[in-house]
Amino acid sequence: MIMLLLRSFLLVALFALAAPGFAQEQIQVVTTTTDLRSLAEAVGGDRILAVSLVPPNLDAEEYQPKPQDVLRLKNARLLVRVGLDYDLWLDRLLAQAGRPEISRGGPSYVDASFAIAVLELRGMSVGPGDGHAHGSGNPHYWLDPKNAETITANILEALARIDPPNAKTYEANRQSFLTRLNAKLTEWESKLSTLKGMPIVAYHNSWPYFARRFRLDVIGFIETKPGVPPSPSHLAEIVRDTRGRGARIVLREPHEPERDVAFVASRAGAQIVTLAASVGALPGADDYISLFDVNVSALTKAAGKR
Amino acid sequence: MIDVIQFLWPPFLVAVCLVGIHAYFGILVLARKVIFVDLALAQIAALGATVAFMLGHPAQSIATYGYSLAFTLFAAVLLTFTRAWGTRVPQEALIGVIYVVAAATAVLLIDRAPQGAEHLKQILTGNILTSGFSDLAVIVPLYAAVGLLHWLLRRHMTGAGSLAWEFVFYATFGIVVTSSVAIAGVLLVFSFLIIPAAIGVLFAESLWRQLAIGWVIGTLVSAAGLAASFVFDLPTGAAMVCAFGVSLALAGVLYPFLRGDRQSAVRSTVRTVRWIGAIILAGSAVQLAVAPRADQPLLDLVEGAIPSLRTLYFTRAEATTYADATEYAERYRRQAEELNERERRNRTQGQGLDDFTVARISSFLKSYGEMRRGEQFVMGEVRARARERIRWPGSLGLLACALLVAPISWRRLRRWTNKQ
Repeated sequence: MIMLLLRSFLLVALFALAAPGFAQEQIQVVTTTTDLRSLAEAVGGDRILAVSLVPPNLDAEEYQPKPQDVLRLKNARLLVRVGLDYDLWLDRLLAQAGRPEISRGGPSYVDASFAIAVLELRGMSVGPGDGHAHGSGNPHYWLDPKNAETITANILEALARIDPPNAKTYEANRQSFLTRLNAKLTEWESKLSTLKGMPIVAYHNSWPYFARRFRLDVIGFIETKPGVPPSPSHLAEIVRDTRGRGARIVLREPHEPERDVAFVASRAGAQIVTLAASVGALPGADDYISLFDVNVSALTKAAGKR
Repeated sequence: MIDVIQFLWPPFLVAVCLVGIHAYFGILVLARKVIFVDLALAQIAALGATVAFMLGHPAQSIATYGYSLAFTLFAAVLLTFTRAWGTRVPQEALIGVIYVVAAATAVLLIDRAPQGAEHLKQILTGNILTSGFSDLAVIVPLYAAVGLLHWLLRRHMTGAGSLAWEFVFYATFGIVVTSSVAIAGVLLVFSFLIIPAAIGVLFAESLWRQLAIGWVIGTLVSAAGLAASFVFDLPTGAAMVCAFGVSLALAGVLYPFLRGDRQSAVRSTVRTVRWIGAIILAGSAVQLAVAPRADQPLLDLVEGAIPSLRTLYFTRAEATTYADATEYAERYRRQAEELNERERRNRTQGQGLDDFTVARISSFLKSYGEMRRGEQFVMGEVRARARERIRWPGSLGLLACALLVAPISWRRLRRWTNKQ
């Protein structure tokens, strides 16, 4: 009996000692964007510590890595990237970090675009001015909330692989997140139903996945190639289309030039709506779900003003 | 068409105003040999705006403008003193240092406030296409005031006066550049500043004649650049900069005709053109001989213009394979485009495609992309093999053409070899 008591006492003491260390042993997850960080946190919960390399509100396609980023990769146990040529700068960083397990093909490397139904795939750079120079399809796939199912599945698989004892926890986390997301999705869909088929103009082609899910009609883009200002005939055409088809909304992300957007909006009598394409790009868009909350409320407010 | 003219009219007026003041400053800048001073001033003004932005002032507020102005005036003081320091180290070197340090400091500040990155970019990359009457309302009185001041002080603006007059020059120039760079961007403002002035200086001696030439050329070239950007569907600022570049090159070519012995100018132009042609042909001959499978820019260019030239060196089987591959590649591209269009249409029309169908379309698109790439590989391979086959006769032919084109005096060459 004494032995049993002693043994259970020892066991309790052991757990008590182990608990702080246990909490410190969070899995270091590095993601390229804040959206993936938010989704990784949804799956990993407090078992992981996720950081994103690109700060919120910077254009991830034009990000310039810093020395600290190499350090972050050296300490990472899991890497999650957007893929589809969106975060190409990561490849050089990975080569510098020299960690085969988080490099392409390694067990701790997650390309979140795996198994996503990619839109606007054009093989090589064939696209007639669709705003993307790369041929791997439009990379803004996280802007369809339904795609979060696939992204979180990719993250879950990798987390379960590197931390099998907690696989069940990760799965439960993901399930509860998806339940919450699906309830929200119904709410967003009903709120945005007033905008269904309403013609909209955007600065950059970031919204095809969002538009498909919520059935919005993005009729054109101001910027036809990344970083190249529009030509006069293209700008004239955009203004003509915006006016002709009665588009009342011009979408802009916070990091995109206001002048060109304001020019089109004022000529066509439309209003500018600033949307966040990434977590943290606008105040209030603090995680993946609130990102859509912010965007949906901005759009419904603009539609209500008509 | 009327739409586009309505579009291009305001930017043209803005360009005329910018040419007006910048051609004048350009002549003074060329005389002082401080060519890149506008970049340094614009960058310093942007740094001032960035600091204001970081302190919480909105982008278009008076406070931001005040910071910008204060920084510009500080830069004017620095630039005034560079003349005094510039005896041992060239003044341009010091101006370059001011530019890079201001640019780097702005980047460091922006790194702490990411939302400022776009703001900084906007200060330095204006878009003249979207400028309009609201910009004119600001710059016309401003430039008129600066112009009047300079006219009144014209005796002191030669660059030889005291440091106080130099400060006035750099300060007024800084104010002008800060406003113009925000409208037209760094590249275009540099062209407005230097190129009309350079052409004026090339063809005239007195300031007023140089100015008149600069204004006329600047206005005409701006109009030509705007027209080209419309006709060829090009970004306006870049098209205008290139138009200015072409105008300077033309002025350089015309200079000997207008200013020197016309006959010898014609002779030397013809010789130069022939030498350039000969060098291109000889280079292509070497490229074909050494690396027949690599890119052959001259052959590609000629074949692009006259595709039937391929029949000269393709065998019949090669020609058929090449034609088939071209046709299939185009077919796959069309089919992929149709699928993309169908998906796009269904986002808003009808029932909308379900996720499974979209995934199927996506994988079809991937396959079409691969198949198209395969056909393009076939085309490249067929052409490379054909070129490998004609490598020696082809490069000898090109070399013969180069010798024919080159302005070599065979008689003199023979005399020289006989002597040897």
